[in-house]
Amino acid sequence: MATTTTKPETLFGKKIRRREDPRLLTGTATYLDDIKMPGMHHACVVRSPHAAARIKSLNVKPALARPGVTAVFTGADVKDLGPIPCGASLPGLRTPHHHILAQDRVYLVGHPVAVVVATDRYIAADAVDLIEVDYEVLPAVSDPEKALAPGAPAVHPQWPDNTAFTFHQEGGDITGAFAQAEVVVKQRITSQRLIPTSMETRGVVADWHAGDKSLTLWSSTQIPHLLRTLLAGILGMPENHLRVITPEVGGGFGSKLNVYAEEALMAFVSMRIGKPVKWVESRRENFLCTIHGRGHVDYFELAARRDGTMLGLRLKLIQDLGAYHQLLTPAIPTLSVLMMPGLYKFKNISADIVGVFTNCTPTDAYRGAGRPEATHGIERMVDILAAELKMDPAELRRKNFVGKDEFPFQTATGLAYDSGNYVLPLDTALAEIDYPALRREQQQARASGKLMGIGLSTYGEICAIGPSPATPAGGWESATVKIEPSGKITVMTGASPHGQGEETTFAQIVADELGVDIDDVVVVHGDTAIVQYGIGTFGSRGTAIGGTALYYALQELKGKVKKFGAMLLECDDVALAGGKCVDERSGKSVPFAQVAAASYRAMKLPPNTQPGLVATYFWEPPNFTFPFGAHVVITDVDRETGQVSIRRYVAVDDCGKIINPLIVAGQVHGGVAQGLGQALWEQAVYDENGQLLSGELTDYALPRAHMMPWIESSHTETPSPVNPLGVKGVGEAGTIGCSPAVVNSVVDALSHLGVRHIDMPLTPEKVWKLIQGGRA
Amino acid sequence: MIPQDFEYSAPASLKEALELIATGERKILAGGMSLIPLMKLRLAAPEHVVDLARVPGLDYITESGGTVSIGATVTHHDLESSPVIRGRAPLLAEAAGHIGDTQVRNMGTIGGSIAHADPAADYPASLLALEAQIRLVSAKSDRTVPASDFFLDAFTTAIEPGELVLEVLVPTEEPKEGYRYEKVAHPASGFAVVGVAARIKKAGAKISMARIGVTGMSSRAFRALEAEKLLESGAGVAQAAATVAEGQEANQDLYASADYRRHLARIWAARALSVALSRAS
Amino acid sequence: MKISGSFLVPVPQERAFRLLQDPVVLARSMPGCDTLERIGDNEYHMKMKMVLASISGLFDGKVRIADSRPHSSFRLIVEGAGRIGFMKGDGLLTLTPVEGGTNVGYEGTVEVGGTIAAVGQRLLDTTARMMIKRFFEKLTAESASSGAFSPTAIL
Repeated sequence: MATTTTKPETLFGKKIRRREDPRLLTGTATYLDDIKMPGMHHACVVRSPHAAARIKSLNVKPALARPGVTAVFTGADVKDLGPIPCGASLPGLRTPHHHILAQDRVYLVGHPVAVVVATDRYIAADAVDLIEVDYEVLPAVSDPEKALAPGAPAVHPQWPDNTAFTFHQEGGDITGAFAQAEVVVKQRITSQRLIPTSMETRGVVADWHAGDKSLTLWSSTQIPHLLRTLLAGILGMPENHLRVITPEVGGGFGSKLNVYAEEALMAFVSMRIGKPVKWVESRRENFLCTIHGRGHVDYFELAARRDGTMLGLRLKLIQDLGAYHQLLTPAIPTLSVLMMPGLYKFKNISADIVGVFTNCTPTDAYRGAGRPEATHGIERMVDILAAELKMDPAELRRKNFVGKDEFPFQTATGLAYDSGNYVLPLDTALAEIDYPALRREQQQARASGKLMGIGLSTYGEICAIGPSPATPAGGWESATVKIEPSGKITVMTGASPHGQGEETTFAQIVADELGVDIDDVVVVHGDTAIVQYGIGTFGSRGTAIGGTALYYALQELKGKVKKFGAMLLECDDVALAGGKCVDERSGKSVPFAQVAAASYRAMKLPPNTQPGLVATYFWEPPNFTFPFGAHVVITDVDRETGQVSIRRYVAVDDCGKIINPLIVAGQVHGGVAQGLGQALWEQAVYDENGQLLSGELTDYALPRAHMMPWIESSHTETPSPVNPLGVKGVGEAGTIGCSPAVVNSVVDALSHLGVRHIDMPLTPEKVWKLIQGGRA
Repeated sequence: MIPQDFEYSAPASLKEALELIATGERKILAGGMSLIPLMKLRLAAPEHVVDLARVPGLDYITESGGTVSIGATVTHHDLESSPVIRGRAPLLAEAAGHIGDTQVRNMGTIGGSIAHADPAADYPASLLALEAQIRLVSAKSDRTVPASDFFLDAFTTAIEPGELVLEVLVPTEEPKEGYRYEKVAHPASGFAVVGVAARIKKAGAKISMARIGVTGMSSRAFRALEAEKLLESGAGVAQAAATVAEGQEANQDLYASADYRRHLARIWAARALSVALSRAS
Repeated sequence: MKISGSFLVPVPQERAFRLLQDPVVLARSMPGCDTLERIGDNEYHMKMKMVLASISGLFDGKVRIADSRPHSSFRLIVEGAGRIGFMKGDGLLTLTPVEGGTNVGYEGTVEVGGTIAAVGQRLLDTTARMMIKRFFEKLTAESASSGAFSPTAIL
């Protein structure tokens, strides 16, 4: 960071409190459900209680007769709109036509069948119960492996094998690797279905302006611009007649990186009734109708030499897709394949994915999106290999890491890891816990019948998604910086942050680059009428790509500011510092506001310079970034009950350069919480008929504050060469690093009882049964 | 998450409340921690809700003649923090502290909780172990029912139509008694997968009285009478605790099978008894 | 969800078998059953109101008796749907004479969907067992009041 190190006081790397927080903490932020408009109607969606059924008849008359009900729309009304788009392209992919409302058949519990519109929300909710739907219930299938078995009920009758696609990827010489192998370990490893459960559920307000045939749509989404483009396509409306606004978004975790039926449906309803209309998702709908994450059954085979040298990895991946493809559904498992070698240098891999339809909620991107599954797999397999070879799991990892001088490192899956020093966070974490002493303690604990485990995960991830050729909708990001006539600065980012803190970090970048006070900077996002086109926030891309676009926009703008400053100071060049343009030779300066005013007043212009101070930059990244780290978890297992408790959680993450340590800490904590959720508690459970049994927060166990261990978080900093900020991304690191460390720890605690693997979540009963079995 | 239409009354006196519930299908609302979620899910759709919030004089905690009287609308937080309860019925204070979360404890009431009779609620185990009595009143009647006759089955109590819980009467614990409430909380709902309330009185080195209430394991809370007898006749904690699940059907759900619940009941009974024993003098 | 268990009905096997298939007795014994109307051979339309503490719901459904092997076994299929969800129970009832009456064993499955399945998971098993228990208790009471029992009555 040559440009910032010359200044005495920079904000890059400082713990600046989030500027977003006061409005969030005082309840003054505007979320979707806070939007109220004159004449606004309310919609409720009628949903199928069956996972598979034919709609024999649908009687909406009793609902229409209810005073206050304005309209009811059914599948027939919207059959020509759509379909809901899938942005993933895979060879031979079967994509069912995804109507906005069910036509003659429903494919999952929660499938929208009709929409009721009323003058208030209570009436709309009552009227839902008045709609009579006669279903002929059909056999359903909810387990992806059962769905692949011959004779299983067909989710979509036209594809009786329930297979949406198969995908093969191979790198190196996998046959040779297994032929050379002195040891091969195999394991079936599942990554259970999870429900993203953002604190704010989804919601949509649509407002049709008949006069100019334009529509404004507010949605709690991560991707306002993509939504606008895709929605225009669904509705058959010119894109420039549509404006999408994201109000405050209360969490997404990937679940709002999508285009949903209700977004199109509310647009349609507003156009039909000529009034604004609001729909807010209930928690039950959120569980059934917003995408789920994970849903893998993975069969791994790892080939190695007796000395621990890993040679090759085979994977058969069964992805539970659910009943439909949402925006990225089929693409998610391909990310798992990309990440399957982890941090290790073996060059032979083979992966076969089978994408399977089930009568369940579609799966799609959830924090980590494909990478937690892959990391869980490889990190479990390394531990299983270590156990097989009776090697220390840390030593086995060190032996196989890509060396710090081997970057950029070309992987067998076609990636080029940008930079890394994989031993460093591992050794830092092990020193922190005094690894040898803990191993001694473990021996003593075992001798006295106590169960304690030490679990490692050394994870890598793909962030800053991504270069456009590898990203379905383009992988660049945009930024505009305006210096207003008063000298105040407005940033417009195409990324649409929703909790990642970029209103703060981006302002830090601006303050450093322009030498201004951070309080003079405002960051605007999430309104397609105001902000230039952008891609959105997901895949830990906001800062690494959006921040870099901002950085380059600032470089352009700085040149122009300097021209005006030099003109006013009558010198050749000026520096920007302390809110001024400074002629370093004469010591004369002119305040920023005066420079800005001169640029807009334009009494005089520097040569070949336009009035005003605005710069826009669209940055296309040359590569992904590849953060990494080591998480170490010490667990104690209650021998009598199987209850797992986490004694220590040490996370050493390397996400490249850190702009704001407070925000990075927040991301690590939140990420670890969701990783612990998967490892210990969360699980979307369907019965054989496709009913979601964990259908509310009374059964679906989210981690809560009192269930969290203290997270000892620290960092190593290996800058990324991919962008000038040196940043990599940290949004998903905690989640990716966590679950294998926890499971490895518990398996380690039970290993002397003959336990080799446990599938998540590690519920006490499951662990207790293994303890019993081990004794036997 | 929107309830159906319902009529709402907020009577200003007990008399008025009893008159209101004497006829028709009336649902009593106290803290609302069970009823309101059910109404929002439309699993409950009462036509008429009678809110006790404005009925004065139902939130008392008093002690006289060896009995602590707890008014029906005393909140879990009030119980948990009351010096009277902490001093004279500390087992109940300990149990109250395990209920739900802070928000639930600030709103939920003892009367509402026991009238709802969730099979995994925390209070019943302690009320059984304390041999508490529940006073039920209607416009025409006033009767007192022992806790052991009050909890009949899942969500089923001895409350007759027209009656409401007026107060809970708890014989005071002796200062020398040991007590303990242990609970395995469901990680999502916070309800007791198993909860065990234990009381121990000692005479010298021997156990002169043992009371054990178990909740969460079965469709209703129960007293582990066999285990109590064993302890009182000189058996060790381990031997007694091993019997607590005997003769009881056990619940199962996604989180815990019936066998595992029985196992947890035995393990946590032993742990609760050990603590109670160590606290007894 | 699988269910199984057994109850002792204090009447001889032949009588227990008739009681268990008598629509009047069934209507009185099934918890919450409001009406039971014959719609075919061994098939009845049922309306029931399930009340469990605060939880209540109206169900509309069918009761069917199948695979009847007089005096020893038959299948009882009960299905119903309402606003709060739907349920289907399918059980094989087996009657064996024992001292003091007839042992009625049941084994089958209960499928539940809708809101009750999604939010009531914690209580489904307990509730199902409680309903079955109530059914047999009512049946036992019915069998005692023999005078009120009319084997041919069809509503």
